[in-house]
Amino acid sequence: MIGIVRAAALAVGVLAASASFAASPASAASAPAADGVRLLHERLKIAPVLKGEFEQVKTLKGFRNALVSKGEFLVARGQGVWWHTRQPFETTLVVTRTRLFTRNPDGSTGDLADAQAEPGVRQVNELIFSLLAADIDALADKFAIVAQPVGAAGWTLALTPRDPDIAKFLVRATLAGERDVQTVRIEEARGDTTLIRFSHQAPATTLTTDEAARLR
Amino acid sequence: MSVDDASRPVRRLPWQVAAWAWLACCVVVALHQFTFWRTTHFDTDVMALLPQDEQAPEVGRATRQLADQVTRQVVVMIGAPDWTSAQEAAAAWRQAIASAQAPLKASALAGADALRDTLAFYAPYRDRLLTPAQRTQLERAQPGGLLQGALAALAQPGGGFRLADWNADPLALWPQWWLARASDTRARPRDGQLALTADGLEWIVLLQETTGPAFSLSGDSTIADALARGQAAANAAVPGARVLAGGVPLHAEYAAARAHLEVNTIGWGSVAGVLVLVFLAFRSLWPRLLMAVSLLVGVAMALSVTAWVFGQVHLLTTVFGASLVGCAEDYGLYYFASRQGAPGQPPLRLMSTLLPGLGLALLTSVLGYVALGLPPFPGLRQMALFSVVGIAGAFVTTVAWFPWIDRGTVRGTRFSEWITGGLVRYPRFGAGRGTWIVHAAVLAACAAGIARIKVDDDLRQLQGSPKRLVDAQREIGRLLGLASPSQFFVVRGASVDDVLQREEALKARLDARVADGELAGYRALSDWVPSLARQASDAALTRRIEDGVIAGVDQVLGESQRRAAFDAAPLTLDQWLASPASAAGRALWIGAVPRQDDGTAFASVVMLRGVRDFAALPDIARSADGLPGVRWVDQVQSVSALLGRYRHTMGLLLAAGHVAVLLALAWRYGRRAWRAWMPTAVATVGTLALLALAGQPLQLFNVLALALLLGIGIDYGIFLLEREDAGAGSAWLAVVLGAASTWLSFGLLALSSTPALRSFGLTLLFGILIVGLAAPLYRPRTLSIPKTP
Repeated sequence: MIGIVRAAALAVGVLAASASFAASPASAASAPAADGVRLLHERLKIAPVLKGEFEQVKTLKGFRNALVSKGEFLVARGQGVWWHTRQPFETTLVVTRTRLFTRNPDGSTGDLADAQAEPGVRQVNELIFSLLAADIDALADKFAIVAQPVGAAGWTLALTPRDPDIAKFLVRATLAGERDVQTVRIEEARGDTTLIRFSHQAPATTLTTDEAARLR
Repeated sequence: MSVDDASRPVRRLPWQVAAWAWLACCVVVALHQFTFWRTTHFDTDVMALLPQDEQAPEVGRATRQLADQVTRQVVVMIGAPDWTSAQEAAAAWRQAIASAQAPLKASALAGADALRDTLAFYAPYRDRLLTPAQRTQLERAQPGGLLQGALAALAQPGGGFRLADWNADPLALWPQWWLARASDTRARPRDGQLALTADGLEWIVLLQETTGPAFSLSGDSTIADALARGQAAANAAVPGARVLAGGVPLHAEYAAARAHLEVNTIGWGSVAGVLVLVFLAFRSLWPRLLMAVSLLVGVAMALSVTAWVFGQVHLLTTVFGASLVGCAEDYGLYYFASRQGAPGQPPLRLMSTLLPGLGLALLTSVLGYVALGLPPFPGLRQMALFSVVGIAGAFVTTVAWFPWIDRGTVRGTRFSEWITGGLVRYPRFGAGRGTWIVHAAVLAACAAGIARIKVDDDLRQLQGSPKRLVDAQREIGRLLGLASPSQFFVVRGASVDDVLQREEALKARLDARVADGELAGYRALSDWVPSLARQASDAALTRRIEDGVIAGVDQVLGESQRRAAFDAAPLTLDQWLASPASAAGRALWIGAVPRQDDGTAFASVVMLRGVRDFAALPDIARSADGLPGVRWVDQVQSVSALLGRYRHTMGLLLAAGHVAVLLALAWRYGRRAWRAWMPTAVATVGTLALLALAGQPLQLFNVLALALLLGIGIDYGIFLLEREDAGAGSAWLAVVLGAASTWLSFGLLALSSTPALRSFGLTLLFGILIVGLAAPLYRPRTLSIPKTP
């Protein structure tokens, strides 16, 4: 049985790591947390619900041109992340505690992972939620965190994975902002990088019925 | 006839030769014993006791291969309501185990290198590997839809679920293929350990390996003790934490500890019982000493010969063998009782007088034990050999040595005189009407009892592990979603690829069962290495689809990507087996097997995971119907069926044995033969009735015990008939002492925790008691007037 479990560890180590990475930029968007805890708590204000717009620039190995996409996002602490790309293609990624799925323009959904079928999803999503809740203890387990002040109101936050499974995929995530997270930069072990800029961010205390429906 | 024997001078030479030759044998055995005890490895594996399917050697190989994987593995699962407390409980457990210095070490999980190497091994064949769902999806998909999906994935944040460069897997098919491979277990890495969520609890899976010898002869349960301490620590850290432990070493250690205890209680209990009886019955020192010597020689010889023939001695054999003490001393008792009864006779002459009766008694006992070895169960054969050699050893020691060493007179004691004299007062069946009435009444009572008998051939009779261990084991299997090791398909083929193709045909049928929810899944070699045809068609499919998707993406995004190159040659089983990447599935490959008439020469195993309802197994087994080379194997069911078949056969043989014994007795004793036979016949019927009344189901082991009862019980009848004129009361003394010690030994065997041995012991407990009580009822008339010693 060791053999079987090893194989599973092998295969799923790969997946859990890539899944957690796939989700981390979206989640990091609203909730950095760090060594300079006080600094962040002073400068970064995390609302229970945050919505806004994003512009993403992906540089992928093998692609001549950077892939630029634009859209809107919604993050509800403890409930989920809704990541709606408008340009160049209409597509939506939804992360909840139990699922990670895409919603197509025609309304159909495609599961990328299901906590029922793949237990790793729950861990990944818990990681996301601990990020959202600025749960520094939970984050510090998985990332080495370095926070630095920038000017009077700004800050940067560098997250380096401690977990070797994640480190195989993710070199570093760097967040910067003031009251809100403004940019997230992801460097992958594969050589790909992603830069996300947030704008028009609007905090809220609760989800509207309509918004809640997007997370289901 | 004994009068004639007594008057003839005894030829001393052959006897002397026999005594010295026997001494030489004993020296050889003593030397062997010296090395045996220094290097011994007793076998504890219950599987070793089960029959091998001689028609299909690959089934045995498969079973062994699956079992070998786990012989040293202990799985511990710690469950708590939340992840943090689960981690705390696991930490406490680890610390307790470390400080307990238990022979356990944590198994290494797949390291980063193994992970990378395995991915690298499979990467050149990525285009040839699809899950059934992916194949269907690609075959049916509209090219436009796949292109849309690929573009959307590129737009999504992060790297997505990618294990390869985009142009080597544009549709992200590979991670899903790995996910399917990972479904062999539900445990997943989490914070550097294995974990899963089930039953509302967060579980941490701790894989351990035993480091010490497979088990210790001391009977200590070091692993179980350490695990108990670990569990206590986990519960102290997190009250209410659940701790499950399972694994072959736990069962083996439990069996070893139990066997150690049982060998001691049965063995020493019997020895003590025999010595007390001898002490009470014979006042002199020699009987006590010589009886002990004959037992020692018998047991040592049994151990040596068994180890020599079987290579290993199974623990259960030693437990069963411990009851041998009660049987093997019958000959010595008979000799000394006769010496006491005939003080004037020189030992050698007396022995030559006793020899025919002793020989016949040995023969019936040996036949009884041989019957035990008739079913094709290696364990029973070992016990049979052990017992035959043991009683033969004690017999030869008695016959060859006692007359030379035994000197002086064997004085009687008040106890022996009381028994000898007691025979006069014991009732006896005459030819009157009373005899018939009593027999009719007994027969009616027995018939009423036997009518209530239930039959049960469940294999679990062999399983001696306590319920809590078995339950924990089952729970672990369920939580981890492991494949059952005792029910599987064996797939045979003429070549390696033939095997893989036949597996795929079987899997197509099993996929339908999975879709119906009857099964969670299966484990098959062809999941890891598909057949050549399957690889070729999947490679063609992915090439066609992915070339289209890449061209589409190039067009939309203005790129000029080319699909990555893959290995032109297929992945072969040899390559796979030679790579560490095969670690997870290697046990599924049985390999080359003896060529059969249908030309098949290779075999593999397909295992089932998550069977929803075990009652549906026969239905699932029908998936193999009509598929060439595929065969369903249900170890539990087939061994249970075998037990049932042999219960039936041995029952018939038992009846035949009774007839044969009666004929043999008639040959020597003529019309009086029935008097030697009747006690055993009555005991056999009576025991069946008592077992039924006690609610004991009838199993093969009861029938085997009855065969042994025939072998032993007849001895008493023989002794009483043999000494009819010469040493009437002394024969009775031998019967009483012999029956008492045999009864004690098997009575102690009835305390065994192994159900099979327990029912064996219980049967003989009833049987010997009835024989002992009934034998004097059938004594010949002359026996009523015992000679005073």
